[in-house]
Amino acid sequence: MNMMIGLEVHQQLTTERKMYCDCPTNYQNVPPNTNVCPICTGMPGSKPLSPNEKAVDAAMELALMLGCKVIVDKPTYIQRKHYDYPDLPSGYQRTSLPIAVDGELQGVRIREVHLEEDPGQYDPTVGSVDFNRSGVPLVEIVTEPDMHSPEDARKFLRQLIRVLEFTGKVRPEAGGAMRADVNISLEGGARVEVKNINSVKGAYKALKFEITRQNAKLERGEAVTRETRAYLESQMITTPMRAKEMEEDYRYIPDPDIFPLIIDYIKVQKIRERMVEPPHLREQRLVKQYGIQQAAANVIVSERKFADLFEEVAKEVDPKLAAMWFRTKLKKVLNYMKLGAADIKFTPKQLITLLQMIQHHRVTPEQGELVLRELVRKPADPKELVQRLGLERIEWEDLESAVKEAIRRNKKAVKDYLAGRKEALNFMAGKVMERTGGRADPREILKLLRAELLKKS
Amino acid sequence: MGEVTKAKRELLLNGELSPVENVRRALERISKLNSKINAFIEVNNGAVAQAEALERKLKRGKRAGKLAGLAIGIKSNINVNGLRATCASRTLEDYVAAYDAEVVRRVLAEDGIIVGMNNMDEFACGSSGETSAFGVTDNPTAPGRIPGGSSSGGGAAIAAGMCDLCLGTDTGGSIRNPASHCGVVGVKPTYGLVPRQGLIDLGMSLDQIGPIAPDVYGAALLLEVIAGKNLNESVMLDVLKASYIDKLDGVDIKGMKVGVSPQFTEITDSAVMNVIDKSIEALRDLGAKIVDVELPHIEEAMPAYYLIVSVEFFSATRKFDGRKYGKRIEDVCGDEVLRRILRGRYISQKEYRGKYYQRALQVRTIIRRELMAALKKVDVIVGPTVPKLPHKLGTKLAPMEMYAYDYLTIPANLAGICGGVVKAGEVDGIPIGLQVQGKVLGEEQVLRVMLAFEAVS
Repeated sequence: MNMMIGLEVHQQLTTERKMYCDCPTNYQNVPPNTNVCPICTGMPGSKPLSPNEKAVDAAMELALMLGCKVIVDKPTYIQRKHYDYPDLPSGYQRTSLPIAVDGELQGVRIREVHLEEDPGQYDPTVGSVDFNRSGVPLVEIVTEPDMHSPEDARKFLRQLIRVLEFTGKVRPEAGGAMRADVNISLEGGARVEVKNINSVKGAYKALKFEITRQNAKLERGEAVTRETRAYLESQMITTPMRAKEMEEDYRYIPDPDIFPLIIDYIKVQKIRERMVEPPHLREQRLVKQYGIQQAAANVIVSERKFADLFEEVAKEVDPKLAAMWFRTKLKKVLNYMKLGAADIKFTPKQLITLLQMIQHHRVTPEQGELVLRELVRKPADPKELVQRLGLERIEWEDLESAVKEAIRRNKKAVKDYLAGRKEALNFMAGKVMERTGGRADPREILKLLRAELLKKS
Repeated sequence: MGEVTKAKRELLLNGELSPVENVRRALERISKLNSKINAFIEVNNGAVAQAEALERKLKRGKRAGKLAGLAIGIKSNINVNGLRATCASRTLEDYVAAYDAEVVRRVLAEDGIIVGMNNMDEFACGSSGETSAFGVTDNPTAPGRIPGGSSSGGGAAIAAGMCDLCLGTDTGGSIRNPASHCGVVGVKPTYGLVPRQGLIDLGMSLDQIGPIAPDVYGAALLLEVIAGKNLNESVMLDVLKASYIDKLDGVDIKGMKVGVSPQFTEITDSAVMNVIDKSIEALRDLGAKIVDVELPHIEEAMPAYYLIVSVEFFSATRKFDGRKYGKRIEDVCGDEVLRRILRGRYISQKEYRGKYYQRALQVRTIIRRELMAALKKVDVIVGPTVPKLPHKLGTKLAPMEMYAYDYLTIPANLAGICGGVVKAGEVDGIPIGLQVQGKVLGEEQVLRVMLAFEAVS
């Protein structure tokens, strides 16, 4: 089935101050209507401050990470978008013209990036409005309709969010700070816009529902007309918005109370220099630079701090070994403990020490994993941890004598082994392990056992 | 009137007149005359107490501010904490300001005593002082005639000696027009020189707060108190401070190039023009060089202005939706306010943008270029303020007849330049104001010409 899907994604920026006033942005952590001032409540006579430079810089950085061209050295106007809703204190929302255009991510073209401000939060059940959120800076990213299935859209959205979150300049999607509108048109039907989506899952479900709905219409021979619908999270369906809401003319005018933004080229260069490497590009570089597998690189760039840690470690440890440990063991431990890379407390040096011990066979991989778990839980020098856990590698003579003892004490097993029953070897290895308290590498035990038994045959 | 303000200031500074006494006299005069003139909507009951506090402060040897003890009236569209900012509208009739406008802060910081809130045309939409929801204002100098508007109360209060100085606002002539009709002095500063934080909007790209005074000295004094950049505001010129008083002492206008335009004569009634022509001769006698300047598009300014101001006013009034601040504006406002809102709503529609609003902005650019070019040739441009004599109160005028009062004042707002008005003479006892328009930040030259003229008239 041919279809075209485009997205408009809004995400809150992590600035400390609002877009046009000095109020703090931590709206979730304070009592209603405490982070407010005449500006963000639109009191008669109040005038906005100049746009928050940190927000503009953050939006620029995001745009650059998406490969967009920033519009430099000419005025970018802040517009007033008029509509009537209780959460909008002045009856208009301020939204900038594009600050950057023509980007690309995973084959999806980015049409534009611009800045907006959040409205307040209206509670229709009691008819109250909390303006703490009013004026919190938002970035909006608009794609071309380059996605062709809900799966496509979901994949892109996840990737996009990862790029945005990589910068540390947006609030996490998980916190409900992401909002999206999706556009979908099926072959033979008009474009339908679905608003009110606030998660990746929501976007996927809304698209699935729309395809079913629109298909059914087309099959019945009815027309799919151009309309705007709302996604109902609770029921995972979309419903038509009221005619009034659809036909709205926002009567955009440039805000006369704000000088247009003029971004100069040098500023863009500065941001480009200090900006973080986007995850999709970093993934490719890791593969090339360290000769590691794509799959490992993909896991490593899942979080920026995780990738940073990897690169620090790879300076001192065989990158392939490090990549394997990051991809499987470390990720597993973190996931199990429900931690993100940002929650890691141990130092890179500690991890390097541990991996070096493994690389030089000072501890077995199995022991290493035990140490790693402890390292995540309660960081300490891995050497100490090895001691504390009683995991010091056994001395060669002790291992040899343990092997000899196992052979001496398990005559039947020896006999079985020599008779060709290979599993008897594992039995004896188990005995050696028991004897050495797990301090010996199983592979070495097997090697030694085989050598000793060879002498008997 | 000559040097009323200077003399009053000296009496206050050398202790011959106490601030309390001065404020008492003003309040007495207001209470005696206001029922007839209706220049004040609200009197500040705390004024005497503030004057007493000032006296205590001065007794302790503290420095006296520039406005120490002067009685100041404030137009009702400027926020004064604790007083009603009604905009002379039913919409905000009970709205008590919760903060001080930046200009009010500056007046208070220089020890000015605010005696009350002046009447005005509703939301500054009017040129006659007749659209106030609190009743019309009479012209004390020409009783029974309009005082002009929209700063009608300010012009009338000064003319009647009800207070020493007033703050008015000028979007298309609203300070200069009543100054002319009432025979007092008014200055519309260069756009961006005086902070608008706390001014309830009419047309944001045109509004400026400025002084109304009995003499040029008073206007210069109040202007230098309120002028200069407010860091908490976006659209301001980069002027940190302004000083005029010191620079005006003993200067003359010998050799100054004073522009006059033949287009003024075409638009203006001959009775008015006769007075203005005499003024121009007086300036020539003072040594000024009179130079002809061409302003061929000056007549187009008015229609362009009414489109721009209506769109901006429509946007500005969206917050008066009846939810937070007062009553829903469309439900309670007067005809002219409603006319502007509906006009603004109509022409800002998407399909008419190119037809009206964009065109009006193009005309604005033409007017600005024309005035800038003229002001390259000359230091100031002088001419009439209002093309006709003020009508008798109660006369019914069609909207376009009313708008015609603004032909000569609007261009300065569209171009963002400054302009002042000083009394030129009278026609049958009705005052006629001479308008002196200056360059961007040309206030000093404008005041110089006004002062020189005032001294000989």
